[in-house]
Amino acid sequence: MHTADVMIKAMAMEIDNNDIFLHGLASPLPALAMHLAKLTHAPHMVYINVADALDPEPNSYKLCLSSADPRHALNTKAVIELLETFDLAAKGKLTGMFLGGAQIDSKGNINLTCIGEYHSPKVKLPGGAAAAYLTPIVKKLIIWTTNHSKRVFVEKLDFVTGLGYEEGKEKDVTVITNMAVFKVTKEGFVLKSIHPDITVEEVIENMSFSPVVKDVKTTPKPTDEELRFIEKLDPDGVRFSEFKK
Amino acid sequence: MQNKLVDVEKAVELIDNGDSVTLSGVSMVRAPMGFVREIIKAGKKDLYLIDREPGMDFDILIAAKAVKKVRVAMLGFELFGLALNFRRAVENREIEWLEDTCGAITNALRAGASGMPFVVVKGVLGTDLVDIHENEGTWRVIDDPFNGEKILAVKAINPDVAIIHVQKADKYGNASIEGSRFEDIYKAKGAKKLIITAEEIVDTEYFMKYPERNTIPYFYVDAVVHMPKGAYPTACPNYYGPDYDEVRRYLTMCREGKIDEYIKEWIEKEV
Repeated sequence: MHTADVMIKAMAMEIDNNDIFLHGLASPLPALAMHLAKLTHAPHMVYINVADALDPEPNSYKLCLSSADPRHALNTKAVIELLETFDLAAKGKLTGMFLGGAQIDSKGNINLTCIGEYHSPKVKLPGGAAAAYLTPIVKKLIIWTTNHSKRVFVEKLDFVTGLGYEEGKEKDVTVITNMAVFKVTKEGFVLKSIHPDITVEEVIENMSFSPVVKDVKTTPKPTDEELRFIEKLDPDGVRFSEFKK
Repeated sequence: MQNKLVDVEKAVELIDNGDSVTLSGVSMVRAPMGFVREIIKAGKKDLYLIDREPGMDFDILIAAKAVKKVRVAMLGFELFGLALNFRRAVENREIEWLEDTCGAITNALRAGASGMPFVVVKGVLGTDLVDIHENEGTWRVIDDPFNGEKILAVKAINPDVAIIHVQKADKYGNASIEGSRFEDIYKAKGAKKLIITAEEIVDTEYFMKYPERNTIPYFYVDAVVHMPKGAYPTACPNYYGPDYDEVRRYLTMCREGKIDEYIKEWIEKEV
């Protein structure tokens, strides 16, 4: 089984029936996770995407290389301007958002802006997109990376684009990688589960800070039925593109 | 209503060197690529490009040395990789850049369309973007006058020019965006000058029959250009999808240092 499918299932498991979720650009795994949640345990979840679509119809959906591809809005029930979704967030009604992280620190803060100093960056990254706006106001923040490594899990971010765990705030911060699932809580950066065929040692060796390790479980694999859903939504295997580096 | 239908060469004259310019669409959807080509052809310089999450439109304008500054929340090619010309220009300090965040820049565009001087937005506080924008003069952390809590004030954005590609327009400028609208309505209504490029020019009867489809009424509009395939190689919903092979070819040529060749060929080729 491909790691992409394990990550999609792990993302889907963070979504509950009464949630409203948004995914942004360059988000093939979140797009499929939202569909998977809706097709299985969270049928009433409200699914909004960066193509301004509401509840994209799974029967006519095919995952495309751009997350804003008009085909992701095929048979949508409404056009929801992103600003409207941001209004939901301001009112506390957008439950969750998925964001990547070029760098992630032990609080779950993320850098998507640049490597090096802002005014003279070594690498200009694409940018934080909605990270700075949404990370402080959503209830569920799911950060993902397909590059579990010391370069990503750093002690200090070059730039703080988005906020992870914030003390006293009702915010559930999950970090899902190609090796493991973490929750960022007041106890720290807690390793919750490792993916099949991954060891705890591998997970730790590839981070520049130490996660909290206790009661580590194995990340559940998608069932055969769930895999069939994923395959049907993504027959071209777009979900694997993030892994080809 | 006045006839505003003009040739693209005429419409491009509405842009002055040094103008702030915003373009329609997001990533690989409904970017006004046909008009971008005309901006490059006309040799415009020192543009200040502003948008939430653009793509090839911004990158190719940067490659063509038409740009002085960029303000975006994100600029890249999603799964295809980084916007190489943007990246290079920033890293070599050939252009200025200001990173924004989607919730702030979209609200700033909406404030511009509303005639408000600024808008307050939640979130953002605690990130490193705050210092950058306070120094720039685009954001201020203020006290909420009602409850005293800290909140972010974001200055409205009123670009000098907005170029919005739509599916249908009449010769007077009534314009219909079909499908995803993104922030394009606010860009259009907040800009000092507005250029509409359209896949199809329809009779005004179309809007009389379907007034709810008139997303940008004529009185906002300065020029209308008939431009079939005007978003290509990005998508135009209900007309054509994105041409991913062409995006790939563009990026390959950028990577191989052949961007000038790409631009030359693109300018010479009539779609």
